[in-house]
Amino acid sequence: MLVHSRSGRWAVWTVFFVLFLPLFALPFAVIALASFATHWSGAFPSGATLTHYQDITRGESLDALTTSLVTALAASVLALVVGGWAALAADALRGRGRRLLDALFMLPVAVPSVVVGLSLLVAFSKPPLLLNGTRGIVVLAHTVLVTAFAYQSVAAAVARLDPAYEQSAASLGARPAYVLWRVKLPLLLPSLTAAAGLCFALSMGELSATMMLYPPDWLPLPVKIFGATDRGSLFSGAALAVVLMVTTLVVLLGVSRIRTRAAYR
Amino acid sequence: MSTEPGGPEAVPTSRAVRSGIRFDHVSVTYGDLTVLDALDLTVEPGEVLALLGPSGSGKTTALRAVAGFVRPSGGRVLIGGQDVTDLPPHRRGIGMVVQQYALFPHLRVDQNVAFGLKAQRTPRAAIPGRVAEALEMTGMAGYARRYPRELSGGQQQRVAIARALAIRPGVLLLDEPLSALDAQLRSGMLAELARLHRELPDVSILYVTHDQIEALTLADRIAVMDKARLQDCGTPQDLYRRPRTEFTASFVGSANLLPVRVAGEGALHFGDAVVRAAELPKGAVEGAEATMCVRPHALRLAAAGAAGGAANSLRGTVTGVQWRGSTHRLLVDAGGHEIRADVGDLRQPPAVGATVTLAFDPEDTVLLPAGVGTERPLLERV
Amino acid sequence: MSTGTVRTPDLAAPVPRPARTPRAVPRWVWALPPVAGLALAFLYPLVLVVQQSFTPDTGGHDLSAYREVFASTGFREALWTTVWIAVGSTVGCLVLGFALALVIAFVPFPGGKALSRFIDIFLAFPSFLITLALLFVYGTVGMANGLWTDATGAAGGPVDFLHTPWGVLLAEITYFTPFVMRPLLAAFSQVDTAQIEVASSLGAKAPRIVRQVILPEALPSLAAGGSLVLVMCLNEFGIVLFTGAKDVTTLPMLVYSKAILESDYTGACVVAVVNIALSVALYGLYRAVVARTAAGGRRAGA
Repeated sequence: MLVHSRSGRWAVWTVFFVLFLPLFALPFAVIALASFATHWSGAFPSGATLTHYQDITRGESLDALTTSLVTALAASVLALVVGGWAALAADALRGRGRRLLDALFMLPVAVPSVVVGLSLLVAFSKPPLLLNGTRGIVVLAHTVLVTAFAYQSVAAAVARLDPAYEQSAASLGARPAYVLWRVKLPLLLPSLTAAAGLCFALSMGELSATMMLYPPDWLPLPVKIFGATDRGSLFSGAALAVVLMVTTLVVLLGVSRIRTRAAYR
Repeated sequence: MSTEPGGPEAVPTSRAVRSGIRFDHVSVTYGDLTVLDALDLTVEPGEVLALLGPSGSGKTTALRAVAGFVRPSGGRVLIGGQDVTDLPPHRRGIGMVVQQYALFPHLRVDQNVAFGLKAQRTPRAAIPGRVAEALEMTGMAGYARRYPRELSGGQQQRVAIARALAIRPGVLLLDEPLSALDAQLRSGMLAELARLHRELPDVSILYVTHDQIEALTLADRIAVMDKARLQDCGTPQDLYRRPRTEFTASFVGSANLLPVRVAGEGALHFGDAVVRAAELPKGAVEGAEATMCVRPHALRLAAAGAAGGAANSLRGTVTGVQWRGSTHRLLVDAGGHEIRADVGDLRQPPAVGATVTLAFDPEDTVLLPAGVGTERPLLERV
Repeated sequence: MSTGTVRTPDLAAPVPRPARTPRAVPRWVWALPPVAGLALAFLYPLVLVVQQSFTPDTGGHDLSAYREVFASTGFREALWTTVWIAVGSTVGCLVLGFALALVIAFVPFPGGKALSRFIDIFLAFPSFLITLALLFVYGTVGMANGLWTDATGAAGGPVDFLHTPWGVLLAEITYFTPFVMRPLLAAFSQVDTAQIEVASSLGAKAPRIVRQVILPEALPSLAAGGSLVLVMCLNEFGIVLFTGAKDVTTLPMLVYSKAILESDYTGACVVAVVNIALSVALYGLYRAVVARTAAGGRRAGA
């Protein structure tokens, strides 16, 4: 509607794809290509192979995948509970109380992830809470980092919720707890699952804080990928990255299916 | 009247407890803004009271104060003789229907209707019967297993009413329940609501609306609100025939409001013309100002100088003629005031610019205190 | 029975007013459990970081660690590198994001919707994947240099900027541009198309419409997206780590190397405090911008 001539539109689209494809599509394409290769000295990779993927099906790489999945699952559930609870509590408050909660729960977005990792090291390396070197500290760091996103999504959804539902329920004699359980949470379900999916994806890819904290027996996928590329095994790193991306996509897709099911039930 | 002391915990499980509503000097303020100013009003048990007013008049605030969603800054709200001012909404035993229905989209129709019963821990075995009864009453029995989004606006409205009735409230609050419907559905639902009220004579209904037709059709009494205050209250006929303020006169039906001055011997001066009212208030002082209210359909065309008998007559110039099917509306300039007259379908309506004589009977006039909606004593000397 | 009374002064039967029901619990009490969790897992550790930065290894409380860190050229270079890469990336993201979002929104083409979804997914992927991908495109082995050697027969290609700050800049622009595009696309969907049609019917050409109709609408989103990206660039770690260049050190990288590689916790905490101060100040600015943007769309009260 902005460009009316046919040739003008084609020119605009050409420029668009010349910028868009190399910048945004190419990265994923080359990683996918490289994951099936052993050499890359020409325009295209060579030495087609599946060994990188075969390696992932066993040993440390498989451990890294399960580590990431378990960590992401735990962190997103915890973040959803804490962030969702806080968002619902903030909605009941007004004025200064709500602004304070907003600021508190969004603060982790502003603080560098590396610093979050450092702060947990500083705080929990000595009794009474000795978590350094445990798996728990990795889960804790991921939870802190993704709670802000859970809070943000749920808070936005709660704000969009028509207060008439809550009020109608109350006028019918429903206590606040009953309203929360039977009306608010079911209506928020699509947003809650979307928030969970986002948290899961972010946790799957978390590297900064994890690099500061991970114990030797709890190596998430991103750390493993860094290890591989740092050693120079770029191609097996690419295969691990593909696994990371596919897992994230599958989870996001699954979550969006839950969303549509919940909305059309 | 037999008002059982229905405590808020004793939410009616049998037939509705007869309980009225009383506003006892209820005020609601937000900061400096007063949205409800010392409202005193009673809804008798079993009565339909319409709160009628333009938007921003405080009528919805009054309803929400009964429901418990607005906390009065002063005064008390009583339901069935019980002070509920400090009770949370879910312990007030009220049924409420709002403009946008607010049916729970994730629940089927029957689950929506059962919601209140379950929330109040009605014995499980009794619920299906009560749901069926409520749906039967609103004519929605055939839709029990649908979801709200599968229903039309009118059907959603019926389900919302069924949901409110299922808990057998003593008091039903209706907040502009028909304003989201189109004109045809609205008149159908209006008849429907009247029938429901005949079937449930014990339920008191507080009906908030800005539509005078709805109020006139449905209400036993109408409370007219404007600018956060109660302006007038009475039966529909009473308000129409004998409005007490200029605001009521013009908001309930249309009205010509003529500024008049009391002259001697029961006569009134409207500009140069002399008119008479059915009765002058006692102690009307000569020279005092008042407003004379005449409904447009009370005016008729008369031959020049022959109003006949005791009728008042006004001469003026026609400034506009509108044909409205069964009537002609004449706009007549009399002494600088535009007077609207609805006269029966004329074969030969007067032309614009013609001089006409309008006649009306003193019995069809009401004298009001001058000034819109003010509470100045009638016939104060100016 | 029901005589219409405007003012009913009769309150004949004094109604017993029930004792004020004890309101269950004040609402703010419900906020306490999550706040307590946040305090323990995030705020308390953060306070300890600040405390540690004032506590040198020798004991006591002073500013010696700050003096030491500020005096080192490594820190000053890292600070400068961090800031210029972040500012550069932000400007790049804004220009690129505005242009791309403009095309998607106003010169629509089939598949544009799918593209918006692709952008959403992009946001969920970790940043270091971009650096990894760039290694295959511009690395010593890889597509660009491969093309060159194929064409010229030379032993090595000329493209070698990945281990310089420019490599980081390219990766950050690539990764963060979608963060600008998303709010922009949302804002563009609010622009009244009738306005654009009226403007072009009045004879305005595309650049003028963009400047006078679209840009003013998009400005709040540009500001919000830009300040968010600036904060995220200041805090970015994965991209820099994967670049693996010794001469590209940013503040987060410095925190990591001081704490993990040198075990100098006090020094790491000092750098962390500087980084937090920088980011939180900018983030506060971002929140203020967003609050002003959202103020119009607040849901109306009762």
